Amino acid sequence: MAYSLPLCVTPELSSPLGTGAPAADAVLVAQLQQGSEAAFRTLVARFQDRVYSTAFSLLRSPEEAEDVAQEVFVEVYQTIDRFRGESALSTWLYRLATSRALQHQRRLSTHKRFAFFTSLLGFANHSLPEPPDHAHPQALLEGAQQLQQLQQQIGRLPPQQQVAFTLRHEQELSYEEIAAVLGTTVAAVESLLFRARQTLRRHLHPAFRHV
Amino acid sequence: MSDSDFHPGSDAEWAELLHQLQRQPKTQPRPFFYARVHARLAASQAQATAWLPAWVRRPAYAALLGALILAVSGDGAALRPAAPASPYGGYHLGQPAPLPPR
Repeated sequence: MAYSLPLCVTPELSSPLGTGAPAADAVLVAQLQQGSEAAFRTLVARFQDRVYSTAFSLLRSPEEAEDVAQEVFVEVYQTIDRFRGESALSTWLYRLATSRALQHQRRLSTHKRFAFFTSLLGFANHSLPEPPDHAHPQALLEGAQQLQQLQQQIGRLPPQQQVAFTLRHEQELSYEEIAAVLGTTVAAVESLLFRARQTLRRHLHPAFRHV
Repeated sequence: MSDSDFHPGSDAEWAELLHQLQRQPKTQPRPFFYARVHARLAASQAQATAWLPAWVRRPAYAALLGALILAVSGDGAALRPAAPASPYGGYHLGQPAPLPPR
């Protein structure tokens, strides 16, 4: 049986919604709340790259990032009625993407610990899943190797620092935007970033000495 | 905030590394992402109604179930026949029939 979403098909949005302006976002949200399929399609088209790349930065796995991005848009569709516009639409999406990605990260690490434990007890004979290696052949070069090391170390930061660092240095968000996503102050974001950089440089320092 | 506790010679390298991180090509989802989101949304909505067994969701079966519950509930007051209108209506076997009025 074919299943269709209870979305009304409305004509393509006429306003320039690709700009990300708050007024355009408000129009988009209003149309989404009325159940417009065109508005939902526009929302996905406009934000899919940002949501996906944020999830990818935190998970470093295309499959996991895809899963998170899909979850985010499903959640947006299901909870758009509760969006009151207190924050920007992009802020809300970044917040959903980062929290979902961190949830996936926790689930993966729990699964990995459990697999390690069962392998110790001999319950499972399969080998432990290794983190996917997305190294490009260019990674053989020194610079790319350092970049790969940096990405590994970013993955080991505490969650809040990791999100702040990723949003700042990969998504290029301002301190104010990061504060809005994390629901904290700009000073707290500065502190998170300072500690993140300090930790990363401390771990990468030996590598730097040999460059 | 100063980073004076770090190796002074590594500042430029660190800045270059961060710059390199920013310059990385942005990852994108595979083509037809919207179609996959749409399918997932449809699946999640179908799943939300799937907690009831399929036969319960058919109105004929639901009505039959309702009637069956009423029939076996033991409280048949609603289904009892009304009091007989004619004087002979309430006759039961083993009882003498009432006499007709004069």
